[in-house]
Amino acid sequence: MCVQFLCAESNLTLQRRKLSFFIPKTNDDKKRRLEQSLVDVLEARIQQLQSDVVDVQHAKVQFVSAPSSRTASTLSGKSPKSQPQAKDVPKSSKSNASSKCMEKPSREKKNKLKKEQHLQKIQTKVKESKASKGSQMLPGTSHEIISSTAKKTAPINEKKKSREKLSEEIRAAVSSTSATAAGTAALSQKALEEAEEGMRRRHLNTDIYNIMMRVWSKQGKLDQIGHIFILLQEAGLKPNLGSYSAALECMGRNTNCLPEIITRCLNQMEEDGLSVDDLFSRCAFRQDEQDLVLNAIRVVQPQYQPTLTTNGDQQYPSVVENYYTQRTEHRYPKLHFTKQELQERFTQQLSMEEACTVTIDSVEASKPATENVDKMRKLLSELRAQWHKTLLQAFKEKKMILFKTSSKNLRSNLYPYICLLNDSEYVDIMLQSVTKMPLSGESLMILAQDLGDRVYTKYSVRLKQQNHMVQKISSIYSSYIDILAKDTEVLPRERWCELEAEHTAGPILKGVEFSWPYIVTLQVGTFLVDLMVKNLKINSDVLGSAHDRKLIPILYHMYTFRCTRQVGFIKPHPIYTQILQDAMDTKLTFDSYVIPTLCPPVPWASIKFGAYLLTPTKIMRTMEGATQHEALLEKSQNLQPVMDSLNQLGNCAWKVNKPVLDIIISIFNDKGSVKLDIPPPMSEAPKIPHFNPQDPSYMATEKAQMRKEVVDAKKKWGEMHSLRMDALYKLSIANYMRDQVFWFPHNMDFRGRIYPCPPHFNHLGSDVSRAILLFAEGKPLGPKGLDWLKIHLVNLTGLKKRSALQGRLDYANSVMEDILDSADNPLNGKKWWMDADERWQALACCMEIANAVRSPDPEQFISHFPVHQDGSCNGLQHYAALGRDVIGATSVNLMPCDLPQDVYSGVAQQVEELRARDAEKGQKIAQVLEGLISRKMVKQTVMTVVYGVTRYGGRLQIEKRLKEINEFPKDYIWVASRYLVLLVFSALKEMFTGTREIQDWLTESARLISKSGHTVEWVTPLGLPIIQPYHRKRNQVVSTNINFQIGHDVKERPDTVKQKNAFPPNFIHSLDSTHMMLTSLHCYSAGLTFVSVHDCYWTHPLTVDTMNKICREQFVALHSQPILQDLSTFLLRKFCTGPIKMKQMESQTPPHLKTNTTQYGQLLFENLLFSMLLFFCYRLEKHNFSLCNVNIVTAVVLILI
Amino acid sequence: VLTTVQRRAYSLDRLSSPQSTKGQNSQQPRTERLSPSSTLTQRNLSAAAVKTLCQYDFLDIGNVEENLRRAKKCKKIRHFIINPDLANLVAHHLGPDIQDSKTVLFECNPGPGVLTRTLLKAGAQRLVALESDKSFLHDLQDLEGRLDGQLEVVHCDYFKLDPIGNGLLKPPIMFSDKLFTDLGISKANWTDDVPIKVIGILPHRNVRGVLLKMVYGLFEQLSVYRYGRIEFNLFMSEKEYQKLTACPGDMLYYRAFAVLWQIACDIQLLHKEPWDSFVGSSRQSTTVSRGNLANDHMCLVRLRPRADLFSSGLTPSNASTLLMMVKQCLAKRKIRLIERLNLWSPDSGSKLLSELALPEDVLTGHVYPEKYLHLFQLMDKSQEFTQSWLYEEILENTQRGGW
Repeated sequence: MCVQFLCAESNLTLQRRKLSFFIPKTNDDKKRRLEQSLVDVLEARIQQLQSDVVDVQHAKVQFVSAPSSRTASTLSGKSPKSQPQAKDVPKSSKSNASSKCMEKPSREKKNKLKKEQHLQKIQTKVKESKASKGSQMLPGTSHEIISSTAKKTAPINEKKKSREKLSEEIRAAVSSTSATAAGTAALSQKALEEAEEGMRRRHLNTDIYNIMMRVWSKQGKLDQIGHIFILLQEAGLKPNLGSYSAALECMGRNTNCLPEIITRCLNQMEEDGLSVDDLFSRCAFRQDEQDLVLNAIRVVQPQYQPTLTTNGDQQYPSVVENYYTQRTEHRYPKLHFTKQELQERFTQQLSMEEACTVTIDSVEASKPATENVDKMRKLLSELRAQWHKTLLQAFKEKKMILFKTSSKNLRSNLYPYICLLNDSEYVDIMLQSVTKMPLSGESLMILAQDLGDRVYTKYSVRLKQQNHMVQKISSIYSSYIDILAKDTEVLPRERWCELEAEHTAGPILKGVEFSWPYIVTLQVGTFLVDLMVKNLKINSDVLGSAHDRKLIPILYHMYTFRCTRQVGFIKPHPIYTQILQDAMDTKLTFDSYVIPTLCPPVPWASIKFGAYLLTPTKIMRTMEGATQHEALLEKSQNLQPVMDSLNQLGNCAWKVNKPVLDIIISIFNDKGSVKLDIPPPMSEAPKIPHFNPQDPSYMATEKAQMRKEVVDAKKKWGEMHSLRMDALYKLSIANYMRDQVFWFPHNMDFRGRIYPCPPHFNHLGSDVSRAILLFAEGKPLGPKGLDWLKIHLVNLTGLKKRSALQGRLDYANSVMEDILDSADNPLNGKKWWMDADERWQALACCMEIANAVRSPDPEQFISHFPVHQDGSCNGLQHYAALGRDVIGATSVNLMPCDLPQDVYSGVAQQVEELRARDAEKGQKIAQVLEGLISRKMVKQTVMTVVYGVTRYGGRLQIEKRLKEINEFPKDYIWVASRYLVLLVFSALKEMFTGTREIQDWLTESARLISKSGHTVEWVTPLGLPIIQPYHRKRNQVVSTNINFQIGHDVKERPDTVKQKNAFPPNFIHSLDSTHMMLTSLHCYSAGLTFVSVHDCYWTHPLTVDTMNKICREQFVALHSQPILQDLSTFLLRKFCTGPIKMKQMESQTPPHLKTNTTQYGQLLFENLLFSMLLFFCYRLEKHNFSLCNVNIVTAVVLILI
Repeated sequence: VLTTVQRRAYSLDRLSSPQSTKGQNSQQPRTERLSPSSTLTQRNLSAAAVKTLCQYDFLDIGNVEENLRRAKKCKKIRHFIINPDLANLVAHHLGPDIQDSKTVLFECNPGPGVLTRTLLKAGAQRLVALESDKSFLHDLQDLEGRLDGQLEVVHCDYFKLDPIGNGLLKPPIMFSDKLFTDLGISKANWTDDVPIKVIGILPHRNVRGVLLKMVYGLFEQLSVYRYGRIEFNLFMSEKEYQKLTACPGDMLYYRAFAVLWQIACDIQLLHKEPWDSFVGSSRQSTTVSRGNLANDHMCLVRLRPRADLFSSGLTPSNASTLLMMVKQCLAKRKIRLIERLNLWSPDSGSKLLSELALPEDVLTGHVYPEKYLHLFQLMDKSQEFTQSWLYEEILENTQRGGW
């Protein structure tokens, strides 16, 4: 098929010959031929090795001294170099029989003699080469890595994993190896063997062969590539772009390559229906590959220039079509930095990410150290040094063991993965997690995942450095920052794409990362955890309390039992936690991605690359091991609006509010304050009572009591500690950034909700973290800015929830004295701010108001303060709008109305009416509840109903409220709550007829889809594909002693209950996020600073009105789309074709999807624009994103126009 | 349908005593049992012949079809003993001491009351019927009224006694104190004779949970065990029985669950009965048939707590440590016991093992339950272990660990 273009190469004859042995005729004949082939191959390998040695750079000295293990001294002697050879030989020979014989020499006595002769020959040759090259050689490391990697896949095959997973694993493993070693010759041999074994053959695909071609082409071995082409043909596979690119790359590398060969190759490519341009647009090139391919092509077509298909004729989703096509009036905000400044920041960020970790001062460091603290710090650093040594030693030993057993133990072969970094880097990673170990321990799975992720991240950064990515990013970035600092009509993403197209040379930025399969991450992690548990020890008398000296471990692998399941747990020894606590580390080490970026993040221009410069980041956060999202995103063609929105949010520059930070730190370093949400230090924690259970003087009941006290105290202690550490991290990071301008790169979850990537310190966090954040850019307050600040302050206090905006403003003006006092004497004054709901933000706001009021001209006062506005408020609004539901819409303020409406009061009223009716009928429980039904009682249930709260959950919520009423008879709580939840549900049903109908329809569709074995999927109006990641759990053995529950296996059988219950809330969340993205895009084009915390939108006081207008317009724009019709069409097309017909689903479509929407509901949708009441609810956004905590607005306020 | 359901296809009776053979002899030939009515008359006749104690007409088992219909109507997933032969067999296995007035019999979920009547006929002096389903209560109470105090009926779900959470309790959920106080049963010493025998069929859902909770209560003398050594005579699936009695070396089933029960109780298999002999409420027919593919028998198992359980070092207050020790050891069965012990207290493992006369490399899954008890006793005496922080850690987990 495709071999002719390589025929000129000398070695091909040999390959051909080998092929002919594939089907031996007779037994004797077979043996004779095998031996013959063995000779051939050995000779070939020797030649190869001799040339290979030159390529090999990475000397691993420890292996030189390692005695060879597998082939044993009988065969290969002690020379380490001969070992891989001996192993390779049978693999390259084309027979299974002979491949076995080398590894198990005792069985093949007949052949032994002859082989030994050969091997001696090899040995002598090797020795020669060794002598000449000295210690520069790589004795088999890479060979080992690769062969073990290849073997690794074998058991997986047997488990009938899908081909996709397999190639993923191989790819991951092989790309790992290519980082460490250059001499990857054995890889191909190994894979050949694999190809020969019929059972596994079906799992192989062209991409796997391509990996090997790549390896050969790195070494310029055209003959080997030819060989693989033959194998491909033999396996019945067709070469693809990757294959040809490897071949061409190799030809480009051999400068004396004959033009005829290249021409042949190109012709062959054409025959296979692949064009040269495809190569450049679809291949993921690394390092200099692209240039080499181009070189090769230019040998025969000197004028060739790849024509890249641009995204010119892009289809945008209809809701944003105008946004992209008519942008003359767009004024994108620019950053107020010079190019020089941005360049410097970029360099800083780059070096931080290259290091992977950052060590910063803890805010506790400023505390004066006592003698004991000093002593403990010294002890801790000694211990760490010692642990580093022991871990390093243990790691090396373990690595050696793995190296030796790599061929025997196929299942859990981690060897390649522990060669990726320097040994001491692994040790550092381990020590880092020992330092951060929570007091109460950590579940093994989480710990393992953490460690595994850290290894992966570090490796991935390394890989980018090796692939010359850093240089390329630097050059693109330096051009990119040009546009950030000036007015343009180009969006950051578009600019980045242009630049990438301009910088064709060098590696491709996107698509070089292969994330490791989840299992591999866990395996690497557990391997490291195991090392830690086994090797980290401490003297038991180190604190002088133990009665004798023993070396005891600091980490313990235990089990906790949850229901009937047992969960592996790693617990630290109390002595260790004691030391850790007493020492109060002055330095904290974080992974670099934890720190906000120092330069504007890389814009998401493809789904594979964005946010951080080097640290791998996913555009969509997924549950562990779920890969379907990625597949969907990759297929998706129009993600530009979503990416632009992410980029817009990430481009907002921040700075620290230093006065507030200083106050918080002073309290934090003093005694903390529970009232002010500053966690107190552990010295304030309750003492854990100590008692001796053996003491006979206690009664059994006393013992039980004391035991309970101990348990309570310990629990409290653990909670306090974790709160304290959380605050310590946040404040330390904030303190570290105190004089910097910084950025938060963003990504999203599977519903499209957007989150900042740095986990500890960000604007989504608690009241404390929000209070210390300011926009880096300042804008004058303008005519209404001060009023907005005041209204914002009242919102933060949580007072006046039911007043209109004017009412709030009036209130603020009436307490100006308190406000100013709070600003001037936060800790010693009247402390007005301390009673606010969000006290720290309120304090910050007081200070801003004070500064503004006292400035000569408040309108010109430059404010950096973000004012929050609640966006779409309430899932009910989306439902009401979707259902064109008049009554419902009115009660959530979608319709114009004189007074602000409150949906909760409405429901409460309805419930009360129903109750009164029942009471009249003589229902006991209805009578008991007389006069007790309030807005508060129903509020939580009403607002969670859109997020899918069930009767069960609703009853619990109401039960909680009832328990708060002291006079309510306890015996009735259960009955009353059950009764009330029913009333609430029926009241809601009456008010929001459409809502229920839509919810029911969504639930039913999801049930049917899931029952038919599919996972529910949909596409948001902005074109973001969404898939619900709920699958049935499955147990999987990760390593010999660890067994995890894995939710995402290849089969991905949907978990029907979750799929169905979660669909309505997830769908509403996806609409919510779409609305946010639309608002963010339009705010960006209007030049606003805009950030969001889901549906709470932030901007400068000056631009609040503009933002509000955009927010409303976009809500209308969103709901002017035929959202439900589109969903219905999509679901029908996606799930109702093919073998599974879901007739029911069609019939289940809500009636208004079939009839004209306007007939069904009379909501004049455009009313919205004139509605004075929309969206002005301040919302107490808790820092928790879980569904049940979604705390939706209560008050609705008039807009000031 | 009726005939197949109530027919006892065959039974594997493991009792080899003469009594058991008598029991089997009393069974009807298969052909005769095909007709329900004939079975009934036969049964009654033979019952009257065997047990002269039958002095009340209203103890007549009643119409089998009627009982069957009522059992089928039950809304919960339950099994019932409808077949009079089976009921007799159970009564027989409870032994002659049911006539002893000192032993109270608790019958869990009697349903239509076939076994209840049989037991009474067999001469039970004090029988407490704990029925969780209201629909059966009325008839049982009716029966109660006609008797002279031999039967007490309580609306109670025995397997849900002493719930963990708090909140308003409604019958059939109740606390054991209330049940026992209402019945006027006082606490007894552990070493006294068995004061109460509980008879019933283990519920289908959460069998493991129920049994674990029981055994924890047993070791700490909580819940019903405050009232003495309560003996169980329970029907459970064959699989459950297998897990309960798993032996060391059975790496799949030999777990903390089995070890704890075997330490605490004499476990005796009284009888094996095919599933077909039981009547299931209509709701579950499918689940049952799916569940018993592998094991198509129900086992009547006697769990009698050992009188000497608390005689040598083990007390209800330190038992929680034993529980945790066994659970930690057997979380994995293929690890060396010495590793676990060294975790508790470094370097003490080999000493303990030699005291126990166990090899150094013994796996946790190969150690007999008695050895675990012995091990615990040694550890409890040892200074080193009381010093170990893990010891405290264990205490911490006792309250709700694993319930």
